[in-house]
Formats: sequence, structure tokens, C-alpha cells
Amino acid sequence: MKILLMGHPNVGKSAVFNRLTGAKVTESNYPGTTVDYTKGYMRLEGKDVEIIDVPGTFSLEPKDKAEEVAVKMLKENKDAVVICVIDSVKLERGLYLALEIIEEGYPVVIALNMWDVAEDKNIWIDVEKLEDILGVPVVPTIAVSGKGIKELVSRIKEASPIDIEKIVEKAGGVEQ
Amino acid sequence: MSEEAKFMIGRIYFAIFGLVVLGIGAVEILLGVTGRSLEWGIMEMSGEFLLWRGLILFFAGAFYLSSIKNFADIHQQAKIVMASLMIWIIAGMQIFSMILESIPGGEEGGWFNTFEGFLASYSAPYIPSLFLLPFSLVVLYYIKLQKEAEEPINQWEKEERYE
Amino acid sequence: MKLSVDERWDLIDKIAKQTVKYGVYRHTLKDAIAELTVKPLTGIPFAIAVLYGFWSFFCAFAGFFTDGFFVKLFDNYWLPWLQEVFPGKGGWVYYILVGDPTADNCFEAFGMLTSGLFVAIGVVLPAIIAFYLFLIILEDSGYLPRLAVLIDTALHKIGLHGFAVVPMILSLGCNVPAVAATRTLETRKQRFMMATLLAIFIPCGAQLGIMLEVIPGYVGFVMIYLLVGFFVFGFILNKLIPGRSPEILLDVPPYHMPTARNVRRKLWVRVRSFFTTAIPFVLLGVVIVNLMYLTGFLDWLADVFEPILCGWFGVPKETVGPLIAAFLRKDLAVAQLSAIEMTTYQLVTSVVLVSLYFPCVATFAMLIKEGREGGWKGVAQYLFGSLAALIVVVFLWGGLVHLIWIILGVA
Repeated sequence: MKILLMGHPNVGKSAVFNRLTGAKVTESNYPGTTVDYTKGYMRLEGKDVEIIDVPGTFSLEPKDKAEEVAVKMLKENKDAVVICVIDSVKLERGLYLALEIIEEGYPVVIALNMWDVAEDKNIWIDVEKLEDILGVPVVPTIAVSGKGIKELVSRIKEASPIDIEKIVEKAGGVEQ
Repeated sequence: MSEEAKFMIGRIYFAIFGLVVLGIGAVEILLGVTGRSLEWGIMEMSGEFLLWRGLILFFAGAFYLSSIKNFADIHQQAKIVMASLMIWIIAGMQIFSMILESIPGGEEGGWFNTFEGFLASYSAPYIPSLFLLPFSLVVLYYIKLQKEAEEPINQWEKEERYE
Repeated sequence: MKLSVDERWDLIDKIAKQTVKYGVYRHTLKDAIAELTVKPLTGIPFAIAVLYGFWSFFCAFAGFFTDGFFVKLFDNYWLPWLQEVFPGKGGWVYYILVGDPTADNCFEAFGMLTSGLFVAIGVVLPAIIAFYLFLIILEDSGYLPRLAVLIDTALHKIGLHGFAVVPMILSLGCNVPAVAATRTLETRKQRFMMATLLAIFIPCGAQLGIMLEVIPGYVGFVMIYLLVGFFVFGFILNKLIPGRSPEILLDVPPYHMPTARNVRRKLWVRVRSFFTTAIPFVLLGVVIVNLMYLTGFLDWLADVFEPILCGWFGVPKETVGPLIAAFLRKDLAVAQLSAIEMTTYQLVTSVVLVSLYFPCVATFAMLIKEGREGGWKGVAQYLFGSLAALIVVVFLWGGLVHLIWIILGVA
């Protein structure tokens, strides 16, 4: 099993990554490009699991080289669990990427990062409701201080592929 | 007095107080680095860890000053509480060690101190933090104001607090 | 099924409407302070204030009991009385139990009932109580894990994570529970590194207490010197030892008021274990060193090690006695050093040596126990690994103090 960390640039993805893996990470250059991704290991239920910090991307329709790498990483790791890191302040934009990944059939865990910033801005997200609609684990985190990371890890095992039609149904349908 | 007026007064008060604390801290740092000491009336800046005390006061002063902008905001209020806590640690430990030092009789004396010796342990000069201590207690009033303002939290939000 | 871009945005719109709200809730003061204590810009100055408080409390409390009462009790009453009434002056039993019949203080007498008891009860016990009292309050209030978060960056540089600060701080009380606490670290590499570094570099509360008595003006220097060593050699070990250092996931608990009951209970457990495990070793240490002295073995050892001790470290050859004692109890060793005639700088060097030198026997036993999880091979790895690190450190870091004195022109 592999874990991919995906999300927009600057949502604290690397902070999450550092929290999960510790200091000693092996960095590798992705062949043929100048864009780096970072590989590391984390402990999950007593086993070492490979975790890859994928470059930030806004969507799965790549706009630049970095996003191409991100999409390629996702395609190459069909068996991966994706931790989708979302900036809690910009939930809608983050959800776009998360939904795309879900549609591709990957098991997803959502980390609502920068939860403290959202709190400060009086933005409140009903986590339970969101979980209910999406059918995937949703965990509020503050990666810089490590808050919520433990819960995030403990819920990775709950991730499973979700049919997008179910989400549409739960949310009350979509208009064409 | 209106809420705003209360915070306005606090703002001016802690701006001035912060400057004083910052200044004393800076002087102590300078003395600590150069290894000198200063006595000024009933106040002295000397002794072990002068540099560290100076650093702590300097930062406490800086926290007070940085809280002036948006003073009523909870995060800014937290800063003045923390700065005051730092002064209380220094002053509290100083009082604690003064009390402990006043009790035993000393190397040549008996088991316990004489009454004169006991009183003499509490005489001037004192370190600056002891003078700053009473002025920093004003923060208690603002803690009280915050506590009153914290209620109520509505039900929906209570569920969402994830601590 | 896949959605079109418009459908996806429409779906997100619907989800957001049901889950996102703009509340009126504000942070409580406690939350805001909790945040400030983990943010580096505000957290580090506050940590300095807390550590200053820790140190002041430790000095004041230990000084009150030791200098205020115990020194007087032991030097003016206990020692003269024992010297007076103990039979067989000049005999070896007298020497072992009471020590030097002409001594006028308990540091120099060096008998089991004089120096042994004085060090254990008079100096170390108050230091231990002061240390644990403050530590327990820090633990229970929830500040300790925040300190861990703050120090995270520095520890990451040596392949450890912030939570490793907990064994480090525990170690300042006693290395034995600290080595046990390394179990909370994830990989074998981390555990080995931390246990070794702790055993070598962090002086225990007992040793701190006695250092305050013997070299009050230099305790700060010794502490900083040892801490720098901790990070320098941590960095090197991290590069040398194969294996990984993943993060430990640590949840920061909210602040709350420590309860008196809990503080009392924890303090009692720790003080009790001091009585049962430390005091016997102190007393035994005195007996062994005295026996070695009486048989002439100590003098022989001193001559053998003279080139190293005088040449490399610049300390008198008589320090070989305390170095032997250091294997049993470091506090005892420091007390013994104070009775040897030498310059202050030599004294500081020897105190550093005693700290770096072999972990005390209790810690050593604990290291072996921790190595056992890997079978005999594991024990051997732990033992020889620590030993190799130790020898290198003692020679390099111990020799460096001597070099510093030479450069400063005071050696």
C-alpha cells in the first residue's frame, strides 16, 4: 500500500508530510522533469508505509509541468490511498480536486488543514455532515502544531472508493 | 463605562507599561552582556541570570506593545496575559527565594534566622520585576472582561469544536 | 461515472451550502494562549521564562534545605559526634564507615555514614524533590508537550522528533526512567540514539544538585557545554547509524490546572524509588572506593591512568577515584572531586568528565534491558554501540574542555 499526499499548492501539504514521516526523508528527482516529489515512510499499524508528497495541483487537468507530474504520480499508483489536503478556508476549491480524485476511483481521506485559520475567520465546517455526504473520512487538522494528525492516520484504513453518483444523490442532485 | 472605553484605556495603559518593561529589559540585557550591574535608589539590576531576566522582560515588553493594534481581539488579549505571566514567573520566583533565604540562620548563626535578620532579608534594593508586578496585575481585569464576553456559544458550534 | 466541470461545481455548491457556516464563536482566552505557546515567535520567549522559573525554583528549594539546614546538621553535629563515639579510630572499619578522622566537613571525610549519607540525604534528596515537583506541574498542566512542539525543529536536525524532548527532560531527573521512556520512540535507531545520548550527555538531578554545591558558578557553563555536545554528537550519530527516523504523532492536550492530589502521588512515587534504588548505590559506592583505596589498588590505577588524565584532560591523577565512583553514582563522584586539591578549571573539567563518562550502573542496566528486545545481538549492539560512542565522546568532548582552558590561558 502506498499513500499519496495531494492538494493545492500552499495548503500545508508539506507540513502534513513532515508530521507523518519525520526528518529523514529520501528525496528523489522525478526523471525527465525539474519537478521534485518527496518520498518518505510512516508507521501505520506497526508497518512502514511509503508515502509520497505529490507536487501541488489545482485539478487533474494539468496546466503546467508540476501538475503534470502530480497527475502522472496518481495514474502510476493505482493502488494508492490518497490523503487530500484541503485548506479549510477554501473548502470549495479543495473539494473540486478531492471530487476529481474520488471520481477516478481512489480511496480518499480528506484532511481539513489550517483548521485554526478557518476558526479565526469564523468559518465553520460541519465535519460530520461532510463525511456523511462524501462517504469518506474527513479530519480537521492543524499540521504546524500536529493537531489532528493522529486521528488522520487512524482513519486511513476507513478510506474506500466511493461512487460519485452516491455523493450526488446525498447532496440532493445536480443541475445539468 | 462602555466596552470600547475600557479597551481604549487598556490600550494606552499597556502601551506605556510595555515601553517601560521593554526598556528595563533592554538595560538588563546590556548590563548582562557587559557583566556590570546597576543600583538606582531601591532598584537594582544585578545578580545571576541578569541577562536571562533581561531577555524575558524585553520580550514581555514587546508582547505588550504588539498587542496595541486591535487591542480588544482575543489573540491580542492573550498576548498581554502571556507577557504578564512572564513577569509573574520572574517576580514570583524572586519572592519565593527571598522567603526561603530569610528563614535559615546562615553559616555562622543558629538553626533559624534572628528576627532582625529575617526582616533584613526583605529590605531594598529589589529587582525591577518586583516593581513591575503590581502594574501587570491590571491584566486580571481584562481577563475578567474576556470571560464575561466568552458566553454564549451556540449549540451547532459547540459540536464542531473538536478539542 | 464522471461529472463535467459545471456539474462538479454545482455539486460542490450544494455540499458547501449544507456544511459551511459562518459562526459567531470566538476563541476562548485559553485557546488563544495555547496557540501563542506553540508559535515560535511568542512560544520561545515564554519557554525561556518557564525554564528560568524551573531553574530558580530548583536553586532556591535545594539551597534552602542543603545550605540552610543539612550542611549545618552534618558538619557541626553528625560528623563530630561520629568521629567522637565511633570505636577503632585508625582501623579500616572506621575508615570505611566514618572516613578521615581529621576531616571537618562531610565532603572531605568520605566515609559511608558521613559523606555517603550527606550526599544522599543532605544534597541530592532536596534536589530531586525540587526537580520532580516542578516537572510534575509542567507535565500535568500540559506545557511539556508544547515544549516538545517548539523544540521539534532542532531535534529534527538530529533525526529525532519533538517528542524526544520528554525523555530528555525526564533525564534531568534520573537517566533510568528516561532510558525507559525512549520506548515511545518509533524505530530502533531513534531509541538507540536517544538512550545513548541521554546516558552520555544529560546530567541527572542528583548530579545537578551536587554540582550546585561544588561549582555553583560553573553549572551553567557545564550544562550548555553538555547540551551542545548532545546536538553535535546527535547529528553525527544520525548520519552514522543506519535506519530511519519517522515522526511520532503527538496530540497536544489542552491546558488544565494540575490537581494537588495527582502531584502529591507522583512526587511520592519518585521520591520512594530514590530511597530504594539510589541511596543503597551511594553507600555501596563509598564502601567500594574506600576498599580500593585501602588495598592500594586506587593508587596503582591512578599511576596507570596518569598520562591520559594529566596529559589529555589536564586533571590530577587522583580523579581516578571519583571516576570509579562515577560508575556507581555520579553525584557521589562529584562530591568526591570537591575533596581533591585542584584548580577551579580542573574541577570543572573533571565534572564534565564525570558527566560524560560511563552512565551509572542503574542506567547501564537499563540500557542492557532496552537492548534485549533485539535478542543477544540487540544487547551487544546496544552495549558496544553505546560504549564506542561513549569512548569517542569522552576523549573528544572531554579533551575539548582542556583545550578551551589552554586557549583561554587558564589551564
